[in-house]
Amino acid sequence: MYQYNDIDQTLINERVEEFRDQTQRFLNGELTEEQFRPLRLMNGLYIQTHAPMLRVNIPYGLLSSKQLRMMAHIANKYDKDYGHFTTRQNIQYNWPKLEQVPDILADLASVQMHAIQSSGNCIRNITCDPLAGVSADEIEDPRPYCEIIRQWATLHPEFSYLPRKFKFAVSGSPKDRAATQVHDIGLHVKKDANGQVGFEVLVGGGLGRTPVIGQVIAPFIAEEDILSYSEAILRTYNLFGRRDNKYKARIKILVRETGLDKFKTQVDAEWTTIKDGPLKLTQKEIQRVKAQFAPFAYQAPASTNAVCSTEKNSGPFRQWLKQNTIEHKQTGYRVVFLSLKSPTQAPGDITTEQMNTVADLADQFSFGHIRTTHDQNLALTDVLESDLFAIWQQLSKAKLATANIGTITDMICCPGLDFCSLANASSIDIAQGITDRFTDTAIDTGNISLKMSGCMNGCGHHSIGEIGILGVDKKGEQWYQLTLGGADSHDSKLGDRLGKAIAKADVVDAIDNIVHVYKEQRTTDETFANTYQRIGIQAFKDKVYDNH
Amino acid sequence: MTIIKDKNIVDDAWHIHQDDEPLLDNSIVNLTYWLENRDALKASQQALGLLVDGDADSHSFKDDLSCFAIIAINIPVFADGRAYSLCQLIRNQYNFMGEIRAVGDILPDQALYLTRVGFDTLEFENKTLAQLAINKLNDYSVFYQPA
Repeated sequence: MYQYNDIDQTLINERVEEFRDQTQRFLNGELTEEQFRPLRLMNGLYIQTHAPMLRVNIPYGLLSSKQLRMMAHIANKYDKDYGHFTTRQNIQYNWPKLEQVPDILADLASVQMHAIQSSGNCIRNITCDPLAGVSADEIEDPRPYCEIIRQWATLHPEFSYLPRKFKFAVSGSPKDRAATQVHDIGLHVKKDANGQVGFEVLVGGGLGRTPVIGQVIAPFIAEEDILSYSEAILRTYNLFGRRDNKYKARIKILVRETGLDKFKTQVDAEWTTIKDGPLKLTQKEIQRVKAQFAPFAYQAPASTNAVCSTEKNSGPFRQWLKQNTIEHKQTGYRVVFLSLKSPTQAPGDITTEQMNTVADLADQFSFGHIRTTHDQNLALTDVLESDLFAIWQQLSKAKLATANIGTITDMICCPGLDFCSLANASSIDIAQGITDRFTDTAIDTGNISLKMSGCMNGCGHHSIGEIGILGVDKKGEQWYQLTLGGADSHDSKLGDRLGKAIAKADVVDAIDNIVHVYKEQRTTDETFANTYQRIGIQAFKDKVYDNH
Repeated sequence: MTIIKDKNIVDDAWHIHQDDEPLLDNSIVNLTYWLENRDALKASQQALGLLVDGDADSHSFKDDLSCFAIIAINIPVFADGRAYSLCQLIRNQYNFMGEIRAVGDILPDQALYLTRVGFDTLEFENKTLAQLAINKLNDYSVFYQPA
């Protein structure tokens, strides 16, 4: 993975000291709350229901074991012994003290981590495919490009006070595992007829109150031009994006109101003037960064059937192997997902002890590297097949082997009303209800993506879940709006509204009814999305609302 | 008002012209006044500056830039980042070689960002803030973006 050089390290050290000064001035009354707000947000610090919330970047979801141990240390020293992984591959701490945040940032800087631009109206963490570098269908590893974009975006002098937040996602495979279509800019690695690497550029996607699927603004931008092209988009957005209404300030609204063609003309006019300027990437720089993501020294497999000895044929191990591991581009290795959706923890949460265990297992079995996923799980991506049984045993002990990856209990869920000051309704108790109801049947039911947000800001991505749940407030009571048929893969789609909102007490039954219709109607091996597409929404409506 | 330039507090001869005042040398006139009195102002031979808002349409004045020694960009609220891109356009796209000044609602914490996009001078309400801004200009010794 990318290792900081002196410049990288100096910059984050200086950022820590800058924030220490800003925090002190705020505590001394020299900065007003209004002035401090964007300054603290640009360092990931929110003021939440109970305490500040600190969001720490995990650039493109890649962590070393040393970094994960530091995450554990922070959870233990400054928080309540746990952290929460987000859909944008970051980690959040829900209970730090404001005056201790500069010390937390200094601890992070000591392991080449930071919280720069993890919030605020600026360019946020660059996310990518959690399987980058290990997936057989990959055109090119997207992580070096993510790192190049990360550096360009960090403390960008012109783009730190944008109309609204701005998110990039990069995918290196034809199969999109980074939700690029619902990002402000989505990049798909492509190769042209000459083998030249570049990107298809999507613009104006996003979730939140007005979910929009991004549109292609440029079919191919060569790799050396990706920063200048991004700068042209950002400049156009910064100048013309709406600032009169924060709900209309994202680039998706600008693109919609301007029209894609006109917006593209504006971007191209700007790009022409800067394309051959200092932002043009040299092969030397691209190769410098790429060299840091070289493949690991994989071993030749010892035997072709390393996992299949009789002692390892226990049911639970087999189930886990089938559900929580997938193939690796290198024969003899598999990708192991660590489920953070156990029946005893809130989705995405992880304890200090578990973090330390995962760090140890990464060192022992997966080259000391850990990935965070868009689905709020973790992955050890480079595990020898012959080690799978051993790692499963240890993961089971640590409650990280719940065999539910991709199933209905592997749901995406925001922190909801329990922690977030924006939320209208709780998410965690609904998640618990769903987990309790479906734990025994999840695998038999087949893969269903369930996504839940506690308010229409949509941090839980409800609009692109096959089943989406959105918490709403009705005269002080918590109600839930259901949607069906959303998708977040390479063919993203927004879900359709099932009908009127459902009372909290009835939500789990409603989900049960939806699953019941699916199981009843599906043909062999038919996915939820395909069944839904074939039979339509009415059968689900009838079942859910006739019972009420 | 206190002006900083090159990490120093400097004396300054420029003043913002009010519409009902007689035009003196070293006046910074606003865009509306300029557009209404362009011919007379061009003929006056006085050293002139132009005041524009951060959200001004640069096409309305870009062809007149050679008439001015200074362009002042007003930032209405410190969180409004349009002035940063406008300054960049004036400096790099329109190749304005004179002084570009940030006025309005500016935090000392923004001084470095403003100077990095091309502002030469920054106007603060008082010396304390100006001095703090000078200190904040030294916060960083390295940057990722090309100058």
